[in-house]
Amino acid sequence: MFRYLVMRVAGMAVMALLATLVVFLIANQVPGDPVLAQLGDLAASDPNMVARYRARWGLDRPLWEQYWIFLRGIFNGDLGVSISTQRPVLDDIRQYAPATVELATISFFLSLIVGIPLGVLAAIRRDTWIDNFARFLSLAGVSSPTFWLAFIMLALFYGGLQIAPGPGRIDLSVISPPSVTGLFLIDAAIAGDWEAWRNAAGHLILPSIVLASGTLGLITRTTRASMLEAMTQDYVRVARAKGLTERKIVIGHLLPNALIPVVTLGGLAYAVLLTGAVMTETIFSWPGLGRYTFRSAVALDFPGIMGITLVVAVVYLVINLLTDLSYALLDPRVARERAE
Amino acid sequence: MIRNTLVWLCSTTAIAAVMALPAHAQKKTTLVVGLDISDGRNYDTARSADLTPPLTHGAVYDGLLTLSADDLVNVKPALATAWTLVNNGTAWRFQLRPGVKFWNGDPMTAEDVKFSLDRLVNVKDQPATYASNMGAVTIVDPMTVEIAMKNPKEPLLLDLTAPSFAIYSAKLAKANGAVSEPGADQTDKATTWLNGNSAGTGPYRMVGWERNVSVTLQKNANYWGKPAEFERVVIRHIADGAAQLLAVRRGDVDIAMNLSAEQLDSLKGNADVSVIQGASTDTLYFCLTSNPEMNATLAKKEARQAVVSAIDYDGLIKGLVGGFADRPPNFLPAGIAGTTVEQTKEFGAKEDLAKAKALLAAAGVPNGFEFELIYPNAAYFSTSYQLMAQKIQSDVARVGIKMNLKPMDNVNWRAQFNGAKSQATIAPWNSPSPNPYLWTGASVQRVAVRMGWKPSQELLDLVSAGAAENDVAKQKAIYEKYQRILVDNANYITLMQPIYRVAVHKNIKDVKLTPNVWKMELAQIKPAS
Repeated sequence: MFRYLVMRVAGMAVMALLATLVVFLIANQVPGDPVLAQLGDLAASDPNMVARYRARWGLDRPLWEQYWIFLRGIFNGDLGVSISTQRPVLDDIRQYAPATVELATISFFLSLIVGIPLGVLAAIRRDTWIDNFARFLSLAGVSSPTFWLAFIMLALFYGGLQIAPGPGRIDLSVISPPSVTGLFLIDAAIAGDWEAWRNAAGHLILPSIVLASGTLGLITRTTRASMLEAMTQDYVRVARAKGLTERKIVIGHLLPNALIPVVTLGGLAYAVLLTGAVMTETIFSWPGLGRYTFRSAVALDFPGIMGITLVVAVVYLVINLLTDLSYALLDPRVARERAE
Repeated sequence: MIRNTLVWLCSTTAIAAVMALPAHAQKKTTLVVGLDISDGRNYDTARSADLTPPLTHGAVYDGLLTLSADDLVNVKPALATAWTLVNNGTAWRFQLRPGVKFWNGDPMTAEDVKFSLDRLVNVKDQPATYASNMGAVTIVDPMTVEIAMKNPKEPLLLDLTAPSFAIYSAKLAKANGAVSEPGADQTDKATTWLNGNSAGTGPYRMVGWERNVSVTLQKNANYWGKPAEFERVVIRHIADGAAQLLAVRRGDVDIAMNLSAEQLDSLKGNADVSVIQGASTDTLYFCLTSNPEMNATLAKKEARQAVVSAIDYDGLIKGLVGGFADRPPNFLPAGIAGTTVEQTKEFGAKEDLAKAKALLAAAGVPNGFEFELIYPNAAYFSTSYQLMAQKIQSDVARVGIKMNLKPMDNVNWRAQFNGAKSQATIAPWNSPSPNPYLWTGASVQRVAVRMGWKPSQELLDLVSAGAAENDVAKQKAIYEKYQRILVDNANYITLMQPIYRVAVHKNIKDVKLTPNVWKMELAQIKPAS
């Protein structure tokens, strides 16, 4: 098992670097010029200013050297300086990541807590109203465009009913908790500031529902389908024949088997939530990584793009690894295979 | 199905309702502005070249001179009370306002003026290009400074009204790493501090900037003029127009600045929110190449004039921006150096299809011709360039001209346009100060190069004469001649000069927009009661 882990981690490092190389080469093939994107019309027409900017951001160096500087930086814990924000990329990521992690994690748990029980219920009460409801909810969740849903939620609960707070992570009148983790709920709890906690939690509700809608739908559907499939298996028939109660069959026999595809999907869903919140973050003015990623991409901000690529690659690889490891817990056959 | 929908709606409503949320009571001591501030990279006036930081700069800093919203020609006193030309007209001498203090209580002197202006030039960042005509700054005595001009024929005073020329405390700035001497581009370290703090003499002082969250200002108790009305101003980042609309309707923000024409129209009849408007000096212009290698037909003046005559300008403004835009005769916007929209009626571009057809015949292409328009995949005041391009495409098609549309990402578009690789494009223009030379100089230099056009000596002479002319009436006459030549050449067509509109909640009063880069006079806003 240890050898398996070491091999996987080494593989991950290579994969992450390969991802940055691919993105670096693609970004450099785009026929735009990041310096012209940064400079205004007047400054862009001043050759000295353009040359100074190129030199300052290392854009006057050969491609291989630019990539080498990036690699060398990684090993020194430095992702370079963003051209569009003019700050170290690592500082930017450190600043914006907590907002996204907090939102994505809440959305992730919301998808699991609602999605799995709903999927299970829909499968065991097939073709009843609860099944229809689950199917409707998954269809609506998967097929509603985020920008539409986000706006409808905001208009209904913030603008119309006035029971939800508006955009942003916390009200203006509430002082943000002192930053320890950057996650407001945890920081406020550490500081014992329950007013800030309640306020931050209130601000999380609408965006997390919007962000969770897609993954919630997927998880409900997958749980339902995989439960239905498991229910036709021989071991279920045997369990029934033995006279086990329905509750024992579902919890002891059906769920562990039916959950394996849900775990794979759940892992991927978390990665998607962490890295794909651009629209939700825009509409809810959420100061997270999504918007930073978008701005880096449209400004051809190479250091920003590379830093984000590395983060996204690492997030996916780590989550994949954790998902694979969790199979061993859920499925004894996998554990046996790896031990051999 | 209906039952399911109801169950879904009820359950989501219940989730939100469970959270007892605090009421959003608006304190009268805080002014809240809703604005997308994600473009701001820094708040250091010597380095800032973005669209939204000047709103803050206008409230926390003063320059030597300023401009009122209704007069962009005559500069007004700010930190300087009097100014005269000296040294045979090669330098301006400024008398500083007595008794002015920075927010920390230190007096403002000539030393601070020299420090601020020297630093602007020596950090060599983007705004240094706005100071290209500024020579040495000399301290005559503690309350008098002289600023030399590199080219006395080009105006300087209007430039000094831009926030890049803000005056800040040398002592405060130096204590936080600022350097004004040559080499400051390597040694100056003050930007980090200036991003969260101001060091100026304005009615407010900046006390914080959290990226993509907010900018916070506090009343400056040491302000030299009429004290500000609010204890605190928060410029709150709300990226989405629809969310801003909801927030201003509820009174969570007092001013919403990024609403589209449709969103503003939806406020009609709303008792709590009114819409105010103000002129701008921003323009959107359409340009056509003269370079035969880019397009042999467009290189003929008659062909370009035919395109100009085939565009339905009124339809463009009415249909795409709800009528909220003016149209100046050519490159210089209305309000700059005596330019007016009446001049457009007199000699500007006009829709005339019969004339367009005759011009096509004169260009040797009676059945029309083809050219390509490039434009960025972006929006201009919430109207996409795509829509404008399609409108022009259908307009010119009426006389047989086929305009092929080529949208591209913003960075790529900028590279093609600046690299003189476009046959035609639509481009936005804005300027750090209303110095007419910023438009006229560009029109005969860098923009002309991009359009493969060699301006005549007559036009070059007019541009120089206009810059050197101090008499307002004479200057206006010179620029009218200049604009007439540009109209005749048909390389540039100004499509519109947008009118800004913002939504204001009844919580506050005296909101006034200005065409200057700081967009709004924050310090004049008062609580309604």
